Amino acid sequence: MRAVNVAGAWKTFGSGPEAVHALRGVDFHAEAGEMVMISGPSGSGKTTLLSLIGCILRPSRGEVRLLDTVVSELPESALAPIRLSHVGFVFHSPNFIASLAAAENVALMLQLRDLPERGARELLELVGMSHRADAEVSGLSGGERQRVAIARAVAGSPPIILADEPTASLDAKNGTLVCEILRRLAKELGHAVVVVTHDPRVLHLADRRVNIEDGSVTEVIQ
Amino acid sequence: MIPKPTRRAGGLKRLLTMARLGVAMLFHSKLRLAGTLLGVVFPVVLANFALETMFGLLQKSTLLQRNAGADIWIVPSSAEILGQGTVDYQNLLIARTTPGVAQAQPALFGPAAVTLPNGRREGVTLLGVAEPYDLGGPWNLVAGDVRVLRHPDTLLFDSSARETFGGLNVGSVREVNDRRTSVGGFTWGLAPFGASFAFADYETAREYLHVPRDRVGFVLVRLEPGADPQEVAAALRGRVDDAAVHPTADFVQLGYRQILTKTPIGVTFVTISAFGLIVGLVIVGLAMFSSVVDNLKEFGTLKAVGLGMVDLSAILLSQAALYAAMGSALGLLLVNGLARLMRSPNVGLELPPALALGTAVTMGLVCAVSSLLAIQRLRTIEAGIVFR
Repeated sequence: MRAVNVAGAWKTFGSGPEAVHALRGVDFHAEAGEMVMISGPSGSGKTTLLSLIGCILRPSRGEVRLLDTVVSELPESALAPIRLSHVGFVFHSPNFIASLAAAENVALMLQLRDLPERGARELLELVGMSHRADAEVSGLSGGERQRVAIARAVAGSPPIILADEPTASLDAKNGTLVCEILRRLAKELGHAVVVVTHDPRVLHLADRRVNIEDGSVTEVIQ
Repeated sequence: MIPKPTRRAGGLKRLLTMARLGVAMLFHSKLRLAGTLLGVVFPVVLANFALETMFGLLQKSTLLQRNAGADIWIVPSSAEILGQGTVDYQNLLIARTTPGVAQAQPALFGPAAVTLPNGRREGVTLLGVAEPYDLGGPWNLVAGDVRVLRHPDTLLFDSSARETFGGLNVGSVREVNDRRTSVGGFTWGLAPFGASFAFADYETAREYLHVPRDRVGFVLVRLEPGADPQEVAAALRGRVDDAAVHPTADFVQLGYRQILTKTPIGVTFVTISAFGLIVGLVIVGLAMFSSVVDNLKEFGTLKAVGLGMVDLSAILLSQAALYAAMGSALGLLLVNGLARLMRSPNVGLELPPALALGTAVTMGLVCAVSSLLAIQRLRTIEAGIVFR
């Protein structure tokens, strides 16, 4: 089942001669239980594509569908609830709420998704971080932070997990560990996982790799 | 099988989650919390002290009206405060023959000068009351007996003025309005807005204040049990000549109005309170705005994961409510502590509990308004900030 389907998506910033076309008619999809990696050089449009899939940006043209919902047709005000119910985010920098402990950051997402907060510790166990549940997020290492960020993203089990450069600031061991956890989420729990990366050390973990350059898909490697 | 879209917490549950988050964020930055609380405590203390002082002055200015034991007052129609002018003696007799009136007594109220042993003169408010001295005072008698007023040239002073008048004791002799007068006793705590009270028999006071026999300063009326003050006052108004008739409650209100509208006191204290509130508004507003600016990524993340403006506003409004509650509680504790230390018959500090509550509610509104600038800043944060 296609969890994500992007068809002929354009994204243009600005207008007239100043207009910048970040995406030029991109087609993209991700299936349930699949981990797709989007790679490409800096400024190629990877993160813009991820923002369209995550309902943070709307396409200038084309269609973005999450499960059965054509989100590109929804008004801006309807996108926030879709993000909450459909998408879990793992950001390049985890952007935790600094005043909350690791488990509390995860619990917040559970509460927003109408689930009991006690599930936070189980989620941390899933990513091997239960021993740091009560730690302040500022005291976590880079690898630990990304693992907690993954636990936060999957809190409540949204169908789609989006990760933006999750290994960028990690060493090889931690980078691989984080991507292996994301892959496990796809395979064992059925999430559609889309990872933006230009980290060659983890590309081999993808089911499919989509390369983007200058706003267009240039290569799809199965 | 792909997981289904998750549920979304709604309504009160979601607002409570936001409020808890707001509280956690607020306590995370202890320095900002302390600074902002100071910004709330300052206007609470300033406004309450100003209002306590103003209410104290209002109470002092109506000390006699509230304690004289009269139900109705017959006063000169042209007079704005007690002591201005006199009324015809006939009005006293009219009052005594009006149905519903149990007792009517003449009284005098006016400034007099006490000459000290060193020759210096100090002001005193002379209050002439008629036997049996149960209408118009004296009250709070702590030394001597009210019957000493029957003796010629004998006054009861207030103990708060003993030092002012050169160390008075029972039996001390002073010149009052150039008449040799002896001290018959003391009252306690009767320090009005102005010179302290000294009680005299009506005839003594009439001579000291040079009031003719056919005039009285004002008439104090006590009603028969069950008589309605408004009805008896209306009956009196139809009978008295060139005099105003006020039930006591109305007369007290009239005193408040005169102080507030015909002196700069009301404007001064309200301005001080308003100034405090404006300072609080600015400090809390800046603190909350800077809190948003310092945590742009946190708020951006919350937007990115699916929170809307209602959720984010709830975070800031819960913080505003907590600032107001904590700041008001601290401020009121401080004010009460200081007021306890400072309060005396001469330093009138009165704050009705309803007004203290009103201060807290006002601070709640001030803090809520303060958060609007920060909420406006939240509106401009893009969820896409999380990818930068």
